[in-house]
Amino acid sequence: MAIQQIWTGSEQYLCDPELAQAFHMARVLGMPLLIEGEPGTGKTELPIQFAQSMDLPMFTYPVGSKSTVDQFVAKFDHVKYLRDSQTEILNAQRTEKGLDPLSLGGRSTENLDDYVMLGPGAQSFSHANSVLLIDEIDKAPREFPNDLLFALSHRKFFLPESGRIIETNETDMPAIVITSNREQELPTAFKGRCIYHYISFPEPDMMKQILAKHYPEANEELVGRCMELFYQLRKLGLERAPSTRELLQWLSYLQHLDIEEAMEKIDKKEGMGALVKTQADLKRITQLKNLPHV
Amino acid sequence: MFESLPDTFRKHGLQADVRTLMLLRTCMEKELARTLGDMFFVLKGLVTTSPKEYGPFTKAFYEYFLSIDIKSGEQLDQAVIRSATFQNWKDKKWDYEDEAELPDVREQVDMFLNEVHTTSYDIQKFLSGEDILKDDDPKMKDEDSNEVDPMPEKLDRMADYRDVPLEELLRRMEEVAKQQKRNHRGGQHWIGQGGVSPYGNQGAAAGGVRVGGSGGGKMARRVIGDKNYYPVDRKRILKDDTIDIALASLKGIEEESTDIVLDIPKTIKEGVKQGGLFLPIEKEKKEQKIQVILLIDNGGWSMTPYIQAVTKLFSKMKRRFAHDLKTYYYHNTIYGGAYTDEQRFKFISIEKLLNFDKKHCVFVIGDADMAPYELSESSLADWRRLKNRYQKMVWMNPMRESLWRTGITLNILRQTVPMFMLSPEGIEKAVAHINGRGDETVM
Repeated sequence: MAIQQIWTGSEQYLCDPELAQAFHMARVLGMPLLIEGEPGTGKTELPIQFAQSMDLPMFTYPVGSKSTVDQFVAKFDHVKYLRDSQTEILNAQRTEKGLDPLSLGGRSTENLDDYVMLGPGAQSFSHANSVLLIDEIDKAPREFPNDLLFALSHRKFFLPESGRIIETNETDMPAIVITSNREQELPTAFKGRCIYHYISFPEPDMMKQILAKHYPEANEELVGRCMELFYQLRKLGLERAPSTRELLQWLSYLQHLDIEEAMEKIDKKEGMGALVKTQADLKRITQLKNLPHV
Repeated sequence: MFESLPDTFRKHGLQADVRTLMLLRTCMEKELARTLGDMFFVLKGLVTTSPKEYGPFTKAFYEYFLSIDIKSGEQLDQAVIRSATFQNWKDKKWDYEDEAELPDVREQVDMFLNEVHTTSYDIQKFLSGEDILKDDDPKMKDEDSNEVDPMPEKLDRMADYRDVPLEELLRRMEEVAKQQKRNHRGGQHWIGQGGVSPYGNQGAAAGGVRVGGSGGGKMARRVIGDKNYYPVDRKRILKDDTIDIALASLKGIEEESTDIVLDIPKTIKEGVKQGGLFLPIEKEKKEQKIQVILLIDNGGWSMTPYIQAVTKLFSKMKRRFAHDLKTYYYHNTIYGGAYTDEQRFKFISIEKLLNFDKKHCVFVIGDADMAPYELSESSLADWRRLKNRYQKMVWMNPMRESLWRTGITLNILRQTVPMFMLSPEGIEKAVAHINGRGDETVM
């Protein structure tokens, strides 16, 4: 029986109540959770932290522009199969001549399953209650999400070469989390099979809690000053607005310094490279005298 | 069984169908949707597919469940204050003669939403739910009386509807909602507060459709405060596929290797040469890819009549070229660049626009109709630079071709960028033009 209590985060990860509710719902229904939102808001962290804190097996499929369903589900190794069948012929000749046959590494060409390499999708479906992360699905070729439709709605992968079927049921269904940065619109049919959640940018209160989770030791004054500047920067409408991830990195750098030194750095706008990622933005900030009020 | 729910949602441009209902049902069975607040989250997860849809969704939800009609551009607060549902609630909550006696309006709305979304229970006794339903006629007319049902002093019974099939409960709730004309308290029939009816809030029915739920009040505030929820932006559901067909004829030129595959014919050929020893030979699988830049005139009253056609083409484009489609917006004409967002806040300079691979197909969508002084020399130069960079650039004009000769600016721009009418036929011509140009040497 799948773990179906509501999961609200772990020591290191603060899960927004709305996200927790959506994730819970997805797990109870055995449907994938599709998370969208600004970069650096912890989309990918959710399943990782969940698997870690609940001690569940985790499978990850990072999607790229060349991703195919084969890689995700299972790949039949034609080359190895061909090589082995050739070796079998060779071995027949070798035995005739009284030579030792060459090893096939325990595989048998009779058993096609030996040549099927399971991808993260198929692996997680064969492990009850695992966690499956499909990261950045928006980077995939257009057909990729569509090719997953059947597997997602019928909880079943079909491996055509060996005729094997890998399936799971509603209770054993892995907790599937799919993340997207909205670089491309996903097909409606695909979205229809997912529970959709958009991570909104954390409000200052929430952000304070997030920072406290990561750096419980950090100086309160410093955190306050950092957050102030951070939200000011976000308000400026930079080419690339700093995200939670950047704030965390910046704070991690600053907290190693003396408090006075750190404050001075902030006032002089030094070490902003952790927060601001484009040359034009950096220039704009250093030239700016007064930052807008939050 | 909420039959009209998908309809209401679709009216607001959202995707909802029988499957939504089935899933909603499962959610209720699994106790995910026990309250109206839960229902909001559950349906949001099931129905919406982008943050843009949160606005229409919120509107549809409150309209359907609470008859609160959020007007376009209005916030939930305002709509609540305007609604009869809220007025009734207010009149019953407080005995007042002067508005001044009451708490702040904002606070009132908070209280109202909290009450609507959450439920408190005082369970002392169970009562067989089936009996109540048996005696209860959902078609019972709500008599138009001004009397307010007395609020029960203390709720000491709780109806158990767990044996009643869910569909039956939902169906009844719907019928009752249709009949209901005024707010109810107590009693066993109407959706209201503090009764044993299975479809009320602040009631004491177990296993019924509770209206209101944990954390619901909080979520209401969020809805109001979150800028993503407004303005309401509707997604069009497209029906005719003529544009699709026209766009399908757009052939790409750029090849991109994606995967390595076994070259079977070559392997066999070589294997035969080797006397039957087949050595696998691999090859790169090539795939064709189209890159599209879309420049949309989305400002000014002159484009308003064509917005539908443009939106249609745009969403088609988005689906077809989702992988490599860049969209920019401008108003009337471009001055040194365009914008990356629909509201035209984020500017992108012409240099950046010229920086993309020159094999991009560029579609300009606009009526090219403006006051002659607006089309300055520098603006025209910008168009020329774009056209020089991107040979595959066409202008799609939503205005009827017969009206073109009167447009001064239109005819100037037409000399720079080949112009076609924004119709399936026009698109086909434009695509043919682009493909014809595909092999020509650039510049």
